[in-house]
Amino acid sequence: MIKAHHIMYKHKEFHILDGIDVSLEYGEFLAIVGPNGAGKSSLLSILANEVKQGKQKILFKNKQISDWDVRELSKHKSKFSQHNSNEIPLQVKDVVMMGRYPYFDSQPKKEDLGAMNKMMYETDIYHLKERDYNTLSGGEKQRVHLSRVMAQLDNEIAHKLVFLDEPLNNLDVKHQYKALEIIKKFTQKANSAIVVLHDLNLAAQFADKILLMESGKVSAYGTPEEVFTAENISNAYNFPCTICQHPVNANPMIIFG
Amino acid sequence: MSALLLVFLAIGALYIGVYDFNGASPFAVLKQFLQGDPNLALSDKYVIWDVRAARIIMAILVGSMLAVSGTGLQGLFKNPLATGDLIGLTSGATLLAAIAIVLGGHFREYLPEAVQFSLVGISAFIGALLAMMLVYRISTSSGKTNVVMMLLSGVAITAIGFSITGFLIYISKDEQLRDLTFWNMGSLAAATWTKNIVLTVVLIISYIVLLPKGKALNAMMLGEKDAQHLGINVEKLKKQIVIITALMVGTCVAFSGTIGFVGLIVPYILRLLFKSNYAFILPLSAVFGSILLLVADTFSRSIVAPSELPIGILTALMGGPIFIAILIKFKKSL
Repeated sequence: MIKAHHIMYKHKEFHILDGIDVSLEYGEFLAIVGPNGAGKSSLLSILANEVKQGKQKILFKNKQISDWDVRELSKHKSKFSQHNSNEIPLQVKDVVMMGRYPYFDSQPKKEDLGAMNKMMYETDIYHLKERDYNTLSGGEKQRVHLSRVMAQLDNEIAHKLVFLDEPLNNLDVKHQYKALEIIKKFTQKANSAIVVLHDLNLAAQFADKILLMESGKVSAYGTPEEVFTAENISNAYNFPCTICQHPVNANPMIIFG
Repeated sequence: MSALLLVFLAIGALYIGVYDFNGASPFAVLKQFLQGDPNLALSDKYVIWDVRAARIIMAILVGSMLAVSGTGLQGLFKNPLATGDLIGLTSGATLLAAIAIVLGGHFREYLPEAVQFSLVGISAFIGALLAMMLVYRISTSSGKTNVVMMLLSGVAITAIGFSITGFLIYISKDEQLRDLTFWNMGSLAAATWTKNIVLTVVLIISYIVLLPKGKALNAMMLGEKDAQHLGINVEKLKKQIVIITALMVGTCVAFSGTIGFVGLIVPYILRLLFKSNYAFILPLSAVFGSILLLVADTFSRSIVAPSELPIGILTALMGGPIFIAILIKFKKSL
């Protein structure tokens, strides 16, 4: 799906990312975790072709990602950004419809309206569709953008990829699970997702692979069982923790303190 | 529907004026003219076609382009205060047009004929383009526009333009002086069919590029990176808007002087109805800009008939309060 070799990124003389390799298979859900300032967002940004600086070697579907046609690429991958615009003087449905912009010229087609409505249902914002985006709460805005990003990939193309940078910010428990279930369902159809998460227990429950980062380097990579050991976590976060088994789903459960 | 309204108003404007067609209705006279009726008096012919119709068409073309350039700039700067006159494009265009008028005589003979003819127009375009690039450089960094910087750089460019134009007026000859005054006041009185043809060509080129960009301007509200994820070539879009708006503002200034506030009033009214959805307000501002300027021009030449009021007075009368209304609304975020 996507392969990146030896990613370097620096701002002035400070290395934000220092030689990172990433490789993702079809249908894989990769969670990137790590303490603040570890370089998670920068890595996601570079993988998603946002940074033009330097020559990063990133192969998306066996083709250098910067060589893709921008419009064609937008049907294969989408990205949910961490800092979404607060001020968009439009209605909610207009914002979600932006996700369908790659597919129509002047008037949205039937399948565009369909994809828009379907995602608004799934993210539980359908009742807000006529509301002004600017009047929504932080969590509702997050769900609008989640809908937009997922509606963008509602097409016939096989093996799509979604990048999400902290999609759970400001969401309540129910919507956190809902959001992760939407992403999980997406990856079960042979699509892939790379998600920056802060909640390690949710990452353990939903992700197939975990990438633990620490000051611009990969400090552990593998399945949740492999990565989430007490030693790895307390080293990376510099905070004591214990690991036990989740009583319901038998995933590793991290308890801090 | 709004296009119908425009046609209706244009016919209405044909009826308003000082000249009397001996009791015949102007529309009938126009019809006679178009059919090439040999019985038509020469003065009737001149007034209906070369004066009234030419001026009406010019109002439609200039109004439309001024409004669309305003809407396009507001999409680029993500702010409803960005218009050609407030950020200094008009001043830049006026300045270079004035230089071309006063100094152009000296090196005119060295230029090819086609360039000579359109010297003022081309200078106005270059002036608008330079002003645009300067303002964009000063006020925007990494895709975010600082509104205060944007408006203040407009003030600075206007100040520079004002002082140099003032100096040019001081040193200019009598005939040039009349041209310069016309530029500073703004008027559609000098409409001719040659000018209208040039305006139409510029309008068609600009609209082919700009009018389908409504979706892209909407996506820009998400931020440049997210717009790119939606398949929009952001760098190319920005360059297109910069060049096309400069072209439209420059051409309008070259032919009708500085007519302010059209690019502010029209998008403001449309936003009240359609929010900021550029997919609607960009094409609609093309029609409503025409309506606004046509109505304003018809008033300006009929209120104090047989004399006429500078049209800028009327547009500023509407634009000023709207400017203040937008400022109050954005008081917190500025």
